[in-house]
Amino acid sequence: MKGRVAGALLVSSLLVVMTSASAHHGGAAYDGSETVEVIGKVTRFEFVNPHVLIYANVTDDEGNTVEWSGELTSPNRLARSQRSAVRWHKDIFQPGDDITLIGNPARSGAPSLRLQEVLNGEGVRMIGDD
Amino acid sequence: MSKRFPVLIGAALAVVSYSSWSQDAGHGDDLSGVWTNDPEPDTRPFQNWALTGDPPPMTDWAQERFDASRPTFGPRSVPVLETNDPVYACFPPGTPRIYMHPFPMEIVQTPGRVMMVFEYDHVVRAIYTDGRDHRTDLAPMYMGDSTGHWEGDTLVVETVNFNDKTWVDRRGVPHSEEMRVVERIQRVSEDRLRIDITVEDPVAFTETWSGQRHYRRVDWDIEEFVCMDNVNFEAYEREVLEYEGETE
Repeated sequence: MKGRVAGALLVSSLLVVMTSASAHHGGAAYDGSETVEVIGKVTRFEFVNPHVLIYANVTDDEGNTVEWSGELTSPNRLARSQRSAVRWHKDIFQPGDDITLIGNPARSGAPSLRLQEVLNGEGVRMIGDD
Repeated sequence: MSKRFPVLIGAALAVVSYSSWSQDAGHGDDLSGVWTNDPEPDTRPFQNWALTGDPPPMTDWAQERFDASRPTFGPRSVPVLETNDPVYACFPPGTPRIYMHPFPMEIVQTPGRVMMVFEYDHVVRAIYTDGRDHRTDLAPMYMGDSTGHWEGDTLVVETVNFNDKTWVDRRGVPHSEEMRVVERIQRVSEDRLRIDITVEDPVAFTETWSGQRHYRRVDWDIEEFVCMDNVNFEAYEREVLEYEGETE
């Protein structure tokens, strides 16, 4: 990464094993050996194929706001997942919602994650363990 | 293109009313239902992209093509924007690769035919069980030409007449037009399906090889997953891959 993860927390001890983010492709664009957690407010939620996308504004320690994005699996796979604490649907997140995104960071340094876990404002794990 | 999917799905689902029909009266020969991948633990590391952990034994012909492939899965994986996997250009995945795409399939049985309706890009396979021979009048096909017969409660499917434009798996293993795929599909319990797959191709492989898929019956609907949406996703992938930091 190129040091652009201001405000992000490296969570190397978090072991989350799941394959649902890789329905469409492998993860070569992301660093599977690192896990990053960012906390922010939802700006956009796209429940679309081939990958669901969540965007959130994250404010770093210096007060700068960066819009992060997170990539999940396809909507149909998410909605059917028996591991999720809730049933995903197209309106599950609204702009302004508090959210925590946890996932593998982009190798390019882009503020983007291949998501392993998502926590809503109440701290509910939206993906769940295997 | 937009009209093709409804026609195919319509043709498949027109026979849903016969879905409880089975070839014989015996229990176990009704494969009907919606099935999702349920891999054995030892295949989980690769079940999303290959039939076997190691690549099959390839001829020089196949090795050359394998080396030239740029898959998005496996030890040689590249980002989507750098792949030459034909499926990312929305060509059909072929057989048996279609099983490796992690979406459910519905099996619909009707007299003389077993239909497989895959959620992935609405791919449909017709397996003819009416005793017909393989076609000899058609050009090679992506998904091949499938005929089947019952051996007890096992549906034995032979698929030939492939073109060589698909990969056997998602890690870039090629095949030739000489490929012959034999599947033995068995409902091993009320809610479990097992498919033993054997692949022969004297042009591509130095020996016959095989793998296995396992499925679990689910009460899901077959929903929409359209490959062309991948094109819409390219802009996002490019943004992530080619990020160079803030320019201001």
